[in-house]
Amino acid sequence: MSEVLLLSRAQFGLNIGFHILFPSLTIALGWILFYFRIRYARSGDPAWLATYKLWTKVFALSFAMGVVTGITMSFQFGTNWPGFMQKVGNIAGPLLAYEVLTAFFLEATFLGIMLFGMNRVPGWVHIFASAMVAIGTTLSAFWILALNSWMQTPAGQVTQGGQIIAGDWWQVLFNPSFPFRFTHMLLASGLTASFVVAGLSAWRLLRAGEDGSARVTLRTGLVLAAILAPVQVFVGDQHGLNTLEHQPAKIAAIEAIWKTERSVPLVLLAIPDEDKRRNDFAIEIPKGASLLLRHDADAELKGIDAFAPDTAPVAPVFFAFRAMVGIGMLMLLAASWGAWTTRRGRLPPRWMLWTLSGFTFSGWLATLCGWLVTEIGRQPWLVTGILRTADAVGGASGAQLGASLTGYVITYTAMFLAYLVVLTHLAGKGAHA
Amino acid sequence: MNLDLPLVFAALMGLAMLMYVVLDGYDLGVGMLMPAADAREQELMVASIGPFWDANETWLVLGVGILLVAFPVAHGIVLGALYLPVAWMLIGLMLRGVAFEFRIKAEGWHRELWNGLFWFGSFLASFAQGFMLGRYITGFHAGFGYTVFALLVGASLCGGYVLLGATWLVLKTQGVLQAKALGWARWGLAWVALAVALVSLATPVVSQSVHAKWFDFPRTLALMLLPLATLAAGWLVWASTGRLKRGEAQADWVPFAGAVAIFALAFAGLAYSLFPFVVIDRMTIWEAASHPSALGFMLAGVAIVLPFLVAYTAFAYRVFRGKARPGLYE
Repeated sequence: MSEVLLLSRAQFGLNIGFHILFPSLTIALGWILFYFRIRYARSGDPAWLATYKLWTKVFALSFAMGVVTGITMSFQFGTNWPGFMQKVGNIAGPLLAYEVLTAFFLEATFLGIMLFGMNRVPGWVHIFASAMVAIGTTLSAFWILALNSWMQTPAGQVTQGGQIIAGDWWQVLFNPSFPFRFTHMLLASGLTASFVVAGLSAWRLLRAGEDGSARVTLRTGLVLAAILAPVQVFVGDQHGLNTLEHQPAKIAAIEAIWKTERSVPLVLLAIPDEDKRRNDFAIEIPKGASLLLRHDADAELKGIDAFAPDTAPVAPVFFAFRAMVGIGMLMLLAASWGAWTTRRGRLPPRWMLWTLSGFTFSGWLATLCGWLVTEIGRQPWLVTGILRTADAVGGASGAQLGASLTGYVITYTAMFLAYLVVLTHLAGKGAHA
Repeated sequence: MNLDLPLVFAALMGLAMLMYVVLDGYDLGVGMLMPAADAREQELMVASIGPFWDANETWLVLGVGILLVAFPVAHGIVLGALYLPVAWMLIGLMLRGVAFEFRIKAEGWHRELWNGLFWFGSFLASFAQGFMLGRYITGFHAGFGYTVFALLVGASLCGGYVLLGATWLVLKTQGVLQAKALGWARWGLAWVALAVALVSLATPVVSQSVHAKWFDFPRTLALMLLPLATLAAGWLVWASTGRLKRGEAQADWVPFAGAVAIFALAFAGLAYSLFPFVVIDRMTIWEAASHPSALGFMLAGVAIVLPFLVAYTAFAYRVFRGKARPGLYE
């Protein structure tokens, strides 16, 4: 891989990986805030108001982080990947434009009213503004996931006079992997937000002691997570089967299946060896992969050899997938156990509070691992079968990329540390923050 | 009906960019003025832009977004040529965006640090935008003179944003802070005069086609209305701030309106110079445009969404009309 391509990918990967943390929190947190706001409107209880205000601050902070890193991305499409818009701009462009038009302005404008307007507008207008912010963040996810899914499993496009254009926008939007990816991502956001809510509430209980509103939000987060986690396991499995149908090369990399054969074992853990095209130290379940993916122990599965030379690097996809599933299972366990210990207003034991504090950002880890799987797993394609990543890269020099990459790394590190400090500070102060 | 889609999108892009420059311009300007105020005044300054800055920056995404989606080839050329200043601007915008949120929650020297970063980020983003403008209107030519020119435009745009920010504060504050803002506005105006003069003189020198467009009698006479109107707007700002300073009767929104008029007129002049090029002397909007199917699909969305966008933006400004009050998140 050339130096420029490598640096362009590193820079864009860093940026998009950093960016996705914040939307994946705010998409669902917007709805949780709406719930808190409704609870306050119906009960008039100041504890709900305090809860709403505290989490509004967390939301505003995360939203700002999402906005500024998102602006960066809209520029990096041009600076790092000009070939992308030249080749598929007629499809990608309108989807991005619709995101800005329908989602960005909606959420940013109503956020102002939601944050600063509570004493300036009637209650129902404020509730309406809270709903618009939540709808805006979800719409934003809709357009971005539609574009990403189209890049993974293109559909609905036609070639006319050497240009790729949309033949049927409905097919472009609702391409084969979109319903699965969109649901999977919304659930990931729900889990991320509910663990942040539960984790920071647990932290408040540990730091600030008995705190009525923290107990309620702890419970809210845990119940939500305990409901969503099993649904996510099911949706994730369906998403995997969809990937097998439309992007079998990615599944081969995920499962580290090197050769096309029948009765393929399920590799639980191994060290994939890219050069020798085999797995070292493999722990396998005989016929497991065939059974899991085809529901038939003797079924044939396509291996990486069937797609050579257009194959993704196996090791990162293989490990990221296992990390995602592993973290997800731990989250399922923590959420259901935590929900059990908080049943009927009980205060969970301190070790459980510590555990939940530790799980605060578990959703981020799982989400990042999931995106690594899906984005590395579709390499070398940027748009499957249409555009290679290497053909989209821009003309910036290695020195320019290196200098700006250094700047981004320093800025992001500082921003992230400050974000964590403020978040724990807000949570530690309790409802009086 | 046969709609000239690239032309429509060029107009929309221009409108979005102008909206961005005016709207984010005032909040960037307020950010740059932070060190000139004391702690209590800083709270009011921040409160005056708090409800708006997120949405203001969205216009940048829309402007660049239209460049990206309607003129993809030009987007690659322009942003490729401006690679490093774009990176500075983004880092500046990131710093100020998060500093804005962090400073509200911080205390003591932490708050001082975030105030400093808020100022620095605002300055860096403004300067980088001006620098980019300087590079853009000179067709990205390399050379010492061109770099100095771009640096001057960078500094001048900072002055322009300070003018917008100061007149915004005149509108949104009262008392001692408003009096200070009046002084800042007059300094900003001097900078803007320099900026407008610089850009107006330099563009015809750099580009033959721009020269030809402006110095073509008798059209030149009609075109002279543009600089004359700009002068009038400048005088309006000067006179109205003067009256407010002396405590004479004067509506407090007039200086801001004058500043916006200066930006709109300068923008119109620039648009006239560049048209129909999207990359000066190299690529016209028709050469750079996307396929009509993509533009048509987007135009439908714009037509549906734009009225709502305008309506709720107007609503937000109505909700937060009047003088800024201290204390955010209340």
